[in-house]
Amino acid sequence: MTSPQLVFQSLVLGVLLGGLYALLAAGLTLYFGVMRVVMIAHSAFLILAAYLAWWFNDRTGLDPLLSLALTVPLFFVAGVLMQRLLIRRLSPVTLTMMSVLLTFAVALVIEGLLGYVFSGTQRRIQLGYSGSSLELFGARVAVVKLIAFGLAAAALLGLYLLLKRSRLGQALRATIQHRDAAALVGIDTDRVAGYGFGLGLATAAVGGTALALDSTIYPSLHWHWIGPLMAIIVVGGLGSIPGAAIAAMALGILQSLLQLEMGTTWAQTVFYVALFATLMVRPQGFFGGRLAQRF
Amino acid sequence: MSACSAVDNASSDESDAGGGDTTEPITIGVSLPLTGDFSEPGKGVQRGYEAWAKIVNDSGGLLGRQVELKVLDDQSNADRVVADYESLIAQDEVDLVFGPFSTRLVVPSARVAKEYGMLFVEPAGAAAEVFEQGFDNLFYAAPAVANDHYNYLAEHILAMPEGQRPKTVAYAAMDDPFAQGTAYGLKEKLEAGGIRTVADEVYPPNTTDFSSIAAKIADAKADMLVGGSQYQDAVNLIVALQQLDYQPKMAAFSTAPTNPEFSKAIGEKTEGILSPTGYTTKADYPSNVEFVEKYTAQFGNPPSEDEANAYTTGQVVAAAVEAVGCAEQGDCQQRLIDWLRDNTVETVVGPLSWDEVGRPEAAHLIQQYVDGEIQIVLPEDQKEADFLFPKPAW
Repeated sequence: MTSPQLVFQSLVLGVLLGGLYALLAAGLTLYFGVMRVVMIAHSAFLILAAYLAWWFNDRTGLDPLLSLALTVPLFFVAGVLMQRLLIRRLSPVTLTMMSVLLTFAVALVIEGLLGYVFSGTQRRIQLGYSGSSLELFGARVAVVKLIAFGLAAAALLGLYLLLKRSRLGQALRATIQHRDAAALVGIDTDRVAGYGFGLGLATAAVGGTALALDSTIYPSLHWHWIGPLMAIIVVGGLGSIPGAAIAAMALGILQSLLQLEMGTTWAQTVFYVALFATLMVRPQGFFGGRLAQRF
Repeated sequence: MSACSAVDNASSDESDAGGGDTTEPITIGVSLPLTGDFSEPGKGVQRGYEAWAKIVNDSGGLLGRQVELKVLDDQSNADRVVADYESLIAQDEVDLVFGPFSTRLVVPSARVAKEYGMLFVEPAGAAAEVFEQGFDNLFYAAPAVANDHYNYLAEHILAMPEGQRPKTVAYAAMDDPFAQGTAYGLKEKLEAGGIRTVADEVYPPNTTDFSSIAAKIADAKADMLVGGSQYQDAVNLIVALQQLDYQPKMAAFSTAPTNPEFSKAIGEKTEGILSPTGYTTKADYPSNVEFVEKYTAQFGNPPSEDEANAYTTGQVVAAAVEAVGCAEQGDCQQRLIDWLRDNTVETVVGPLSWDEVGRPEAAHLIQQYVDGEIQIVLPEDQKEADFLFPKPAW
């Protein structure tokens, strides 16, 4: 029936897909970890970054990866500003719930603006190497998917090192673990939260650009992403970046392999099945330990 | 009742330039998916309707009255589309309605129109299920229903010498009545002709990653690939297949290749890709020449299929209104319906007539990218270029 060749090919594709999922979900889990903010607009920012990469390529003819030099700092600043100007105004008591509404609105605004500026026409970056691939033990590995995977690995490693090794990272982790205690030892938790939000959006800039390399984009695309991404961070344990990465990889591979026997429609439900199972068996997530305690 | 208000209007401040029997405008209600999943084709349909209204108004209107479109946005949502048509017909009391885009929105809205006894001409409900609901008020304003889109291609393949023609086919279709209808219409005919199906993948409309589907198709090594697709899924699937270095001898996709964005997205690798189309700007029907010229003047680029189907809808309704001599709710609607049942209308996609459930009785052309340009290759008597087989590598 299913040839070993096809299983191996699907496994390779699943790993690549999982890497992309991990990158896209990393920011999402960070917001929750630092601020208990459910950031519905994360995927809208991904699509925004994807559009900026497309637009950059369309205007300059240069490789869309170069747009990262502009979008990463831009998104970081936008994140800090968004936290300072919008998120901080929410009452701490209802923060989690109200952040859903607030960021839902932000997502709608971004979608509307994208439609207004770039129209609803579906866009795709046309790269000379978009159809190229390498051979690996008989399986095909698309160059663009490999680049996206590399971006994901680099961004996640960078984020991990930042959190583990830098002072900002220490402050962020302290804020995540116990906000009041962190404030007591002199950490400006408000400022740290702002930087945390900025970091989250900076990962969205990288993720969106990776996404744009290999898919057709349109303004409402973000709604298709937010569900699976939310599922990934819940399964991985809210606030845990390694958790999100492991869950993303596991679900990406699972989706790719299930596709062989069950077809696309059922394979996509793996996210929601995993979400329900997690909430029933281990509501704090499988890999993150107690809520947002570890990195 | 409309006579009364006509008198009111004539004595008020209306300064209609139409001359003669100027009265209040004929209002036409439409709900379209201007946002959401179908916003792209939805906006195309809107442009087609607007182009029609402008051309009609510029030439003196319908029955000497100006036409006025009232367009609502249903956000690609089947519940909204029902509410929209309810309110257009019952509250706004529009004189006529035009259909929305996509089978999924056409079916619920046609039901509303039927309840109110309204004529329902629509530009985009091509799937078989549209014509299985017992609508006696519905007419599809295009040459053929989804299942018949690939007819000329099926005939062509089955006419090829046994040794040359593709022996195995892989099908991939979006889980959408229209898209699936096109692919399965062809599948049925090819299977009946002894051509084997080696892969048959169905994917939901929100699928973003096509690499796994592509892997299954590439693994099946089919001679031919048939896509039942909208736009972005076809593009994503084609690129995913290229990445796996799958080289079919023939590849056909519904909808996407006729989109002007298609070659921008795929680059130079479009050569040989086939697509059925209900419309070409090059068709020399008199109203089409006028449509292409005026549409291009109004919007800056030539119309594509969505715009043309919408324009055709306007032409069909207009023909009935002019022939019957009325356009308002009530008995008039039944007379419009009866007239269309028995007559042929000249449109930008050629002469159209319908069977008793509103299915048009013509066929789609088959286009192919030849020398970097999309050209008609089937049927023989309308071709602009020779059918390219086998397809060059992509």
